[in-house]
Amino acid sequence: MPDQTPHIRNFSIIAHIDHGKSTLADRLLQATNAVSAREARDQILDSMDLERERGITIKASAVTVMHRHKLGAKADDLEAEYEAPVDESGKHASKKGAPEEHGDLFMLNFIDTPGHVDFNYEVSRALKACEGAILVVDSTQGVQAQTLVNAYLAVNENLTIIPVINKIDLPGARPIDVAMEIEQTLGFRAEDCLLVSAKSGLGIPELLASICEKLPAPRAPVSDQLRALIFDAVYDDYRGVITYVRVFDGSLKLGDKIRMMGTGRTFQVTDLGKMTPKPVRVPSLGPGETGYVVAAIRTLKDVRIGDTVTLEHNPATEALPGYQPPRQMVFCDFYPATSDGGDAPDFEELREAVEKLSLNDSSFTFAPVHSEALGFGFRCGFLGLLHMDIIQERLEREGGVEIVQTAPTVSYHVLVRGTDTVVSPSGQTLKPVDPATGNATDIPPGHTLVDVHNPAELPNPSTIAQIREPICRLEVMVPQEYIGDIMKLCLDRRGTYKNQSMVSATRQLLTFEIPLAEIIYDFFDKMKGMTSGYGTMDYEVTGYRSDNLAKVDILINGDPVEALALICHREKSEQRGRALISRLKEQIPRHQFEIPLQAAIGGKVVARETIKAFRKNVIAKCYGGDVSRKRKLLDKQKEGKKRMKSVGSVTIPQEAFMAVLDQGD
Amino acid sequence: MHIPFCAHKCHYCDFYSLVDPRDRQGSFVDRLGRELHALAPWGRGASLATIFVGGGTPSLLPPFLWDRLLGVLHEAFDLTSLEEFSVECNPESVSPELFSTLVRGGVTRVSMGAQSFNPSHLKTLERRHSPGNAGRALAMARDAGIPRQSIDLIFGIPGQTLDDWKHDLDDALALGTEHLSCYNLTYEPGTAMTARLKRGEFTPADEDVEVEMFRITLSAARGAGLERYEVSNFAKPGAQCRHNLVYWRGGNWLAAGPSASGHINGHRWKNTPRLDDYLSIDRDGFAPVSEHETPDPGRALTERLMTGLRLSEGLERAWVVAQATALHAGAASGLARAIERQTALGFLETDPARLCLTDAGFLVGDSVILELAGALDL
Ligand SMILES: Nc1nc2c(ncn2[C@@H]2O[C@H](COP(=O)(O)OP(=O)(O)OP(=O)(O)O)[C@@H](O)[C@H]2O)c(=O)[nH]1
Ligand code: SF4
Ligand SMILES: [Mg+2]
Repeated sequence: MPDQTPHIRNFSIIAHIDHGKSTLADRLLQATNAVSAREARDQILDSMDLERERGITIKASAVTVMHRHKLGAKADDLEAEYEAPVDESGKHASKKGAPEEHGDLFMLNFIDTPGHVDFNYEVSRALKACEGAILVVDSTQGVQAQTLVNAYLAVNENLTIIPVINKIDLPGARPIDVAMEIEQTLGFRAEDCLLVSAKSGLGIPELLASICEKLPAPRAPVSDQLRALIFDAVYDDYRGVITYVRVFDGSLKLGDKIRMMGTGRTFQVTDLGKMTPKPVRVPSLGPGETGYVVAAIRTLKDVRIGDTVTLEHNPATEALPGYQPPRQMVFCDFYPATSDGGDAPDFEELREAVEKLSLNDSSFTFAPVHSEALGFGFRCGFLGLLHMDIIQERLEREGGVEIVQTAPTVSYHVLVRGTDTVVSPSGQTLKPVDPATGNATDIPPGHTLVDVHNPAELPNPSTIAQIREPICRLEVMVPQEYIGDIMKLCLDRRGTYKNQSMVSATRQLLTFEIPLAEIIYDFFDKMKGMTSGYGTMDYEVTGYRSDNLAKVDILINGDPVEALALICHREKSEQRGRALISRLKEQIPRHQFEIPLQAAIGGKVVARETIKAFRKNVIAKCYGGDVSRKRKLLDKQKEGKKRMKSVGSVTIPQEAFMAVLDQGD
Repeated sequence: MHIPFCAHKCHYCDFYSLVDPRDRQGSFVDRLGRELHALAPWGRGASLATIFVGGGTPSLLPPFLWDRLLGVLHEAFDLTSLEEFSVECNPESVSPELFSTLVRGGVTRVSMGAQSFNPSHLKTLERRHSPGNAGRALAMARDAGIPRQSIDLIFGIPGQTLDDWKHDLDDALALGTEHLSCYNLTYEPGTAMTARLKRGEFTPADEDVEVEMFRITLSAARGAGLERYEVSNFAKPGAQCRHNLVYWRGGNWLAAGPSASGHINGHRWKNTPRLDDYLSIDRDGFAPVSEHETPDPGRALTERLMTGLRLSEGLERAWVVAQATALHAGAASGLARAIERQTALGFLETDPARLCLTDAGFLVGDSVILELAGALDL
């Protein structure tokens, strides 16, 4: 590290998904010589396999780079500061003269954030560690739903925002129009938008200058007592938990005994450093700085993101404002695929995988469940559908288990008459809604409000006064010509239209209030399909509201199958029930006997189907004593059957449990 | 014994056979002779009980090669108590000379691949003989002095009506056959028929029609005094194919020729199904073997359930229970539950001594076997 005290700039890179945040981060790393040509690769901060394969950022990454810039320099002088990125052939532009000789030294701490709505909490956390944000907008796509959401988050944190229009190298770039959109929707002046290409490096020197010039320095410390905000934590197999902190007051040194102000736990700092993006050890972190701390913390459960770190012997008196813990919005069950009726070893494998993954990702919840049809498994909660998908894939890939997943549902607040402990039909105690979530108000006297995130656990219907469901504010940004279709889609899904505002001459932002349950399944795909891919959306749960909701039971061969039960609006229940059993009819193979399928609401059958028995199932030939060949065929069938789940004497393919997703519209 | 030559490849066929463009029948018979000599010590000095020559088309071998083959057979093995010697024939490739050669060599039974007596269905199957051939060939065999005869038929051919099938059955039974094999057409991977099906060239037979054909077959056969003794095989009393019973009852047999499979006390093996390898690889006369399974009690019981339940006589209950009990703790109870359930569904007889399929059970036999074998939880 240079001896001169650097100016510090802390900022996040935020944008709608795929607008080029991670690629822009690549250019910043390269332009500041943090990554050499040899080390460079695309989206270098997306280090998880899954991130690289899917081409999306899932976890935020914080890095520190050093940069020279003469404060007050004009854009024309910048050329010399900038080193061109590697060209196609891998050649690197010649090294320029020692940069230390001119300009002031800057320490840039920045965080590349994910763009997908499910990982919005990552953005909120990152912003709390910064004074500035670079808002990236794709010049071919313009302002999109998450552009607005993330920009508002930054505005609410009082951050200084530099709007950047990216991908101007593309033939379809419309930088002027997009600048107008930014002005129209967010109120930044169109001429203040920087034009860059994160691919070619065009405009990067101007962006670096702007970061140094326009973003504020960290606020001055208010005391000498250490206060550092934990804004992220990751688990490492070898070193345990690595926490990322932003120091606001005081300073933190190697060997310090630290205390977490929220949990009261104390640890000894064994390693301290910065990601450059390689980890580099530093002796201390001073006010305004960002870095990582290793302190023999064994599991992620031992740290709370948003907690304040102080020193054991000289503690601060008041913690920094923290975060709301991320809230799980979508729930489903995971069962081991290979077991029939809950084979212990398969379940143990799943348990191990789930526990291990929770060390890496503390934002999903899990609790053991048992289902008649699927055996032992876990009820898991996720931030959204993509998150669910990713967790499932990581469990299968990193944990080596195969998973059967039930259909995702939301979590319901059920108002039950009486003040006794409420139990589910399976005898489980249902947790009262945590008043801290803010949605637990309005409990009439003599009632209890419980959290139910599994239709099977709905308490006795005769005791239920109300079922309340999560309601979101949904924002959909669409080209003019699709407004009618989107309106219809939302109204069909019990949405209420709230507002419409103009993004540009051709695009509008529509706001609805809509039950979360109506959008978690296939809404996104439907919306994308209807708008030829041009629509984007964002949602946020704003509260809970009661509606006329009913539980639809599915009976297979007369046996109710809880894993297939669903909760939906009474008016739609018949349609959903019918859709579900006709899907099941396609998915369940014919058996030796006839199988009735029924959908029932409160014991009344509303739809029925029958899977006919097969009439013939015999291979008429057995030639030449080649018994092995026939037996191998039989073994294959046995294997196939083992991979199915059984309800009574009916075997059901695992995919059938996802049939609940069919909305029937 | 497997003779892998055919004059033409039938469209439904997935047996190992080829239309040989080079004349390799002579070298094949010589090679087969060496294999028979190599196998001979396995006979342990006792006489063979049954011989079955299949294919391919065994009747395609010219009489002089048959003569040579039969000579070696007699040289290598003790055949003094041979009970049955069957040869598969195709109606278009037989002659009085062939049959008299076979008779001289001790052949007692021919199995005639008639498949259908309807020219258009023979065309669909791409069989090359005309309907009248089968009867003439059988008469020829009888005249030559071969006492026992069987006819192979196929049903469920695309376009075949119930009446068509009735006619085929009547035509076959009218020939006074003592043994009838009726195979439901199956679409095996890699066959021309399956490719045509995939291309949509025809509609496969309807399941209900096939079920009806199964029923008609049973009643027509019974009407002519033939009883079902295996899923697809019917015979007059005492006229069952003893050789095939050896397969289905889990007996021991030797195998010769490419793709032939053998079984001795739990060892199962299969000669490599490739004529070139068979001709070029010769380990003291033994053929190259591509699959060999060693004895395994779980597999053995599975295979006995699989082949034994296909027979009308079924399996001895007590024996099955004892075998399952010896396997592992849950096997016998699992099996007992599965048997109980299949009996309740009407697919297994309630006979206290024997475990066997009912008439309804035969129609869904594979699924019953799957349930029982699956219940062993291996
Ligand atoms: N032509 C062109 N392509 C770009 C530019 N910037 C990014 N891309 C491409 O756009 C795609 C998305 O880029 P990323 O950097 O992964 O976008 P992101 O905003 O980090 O995406 P998320 O993290 O998933 O929200 C990649 O294929 C990039 O190569 C640019 O300036 N020009
Ligand atoms: S004659 Fe028999 S072995 Fe030869 S091709 Fe036809 S069915 Fe196959
Ligand atoms: Mg990214």
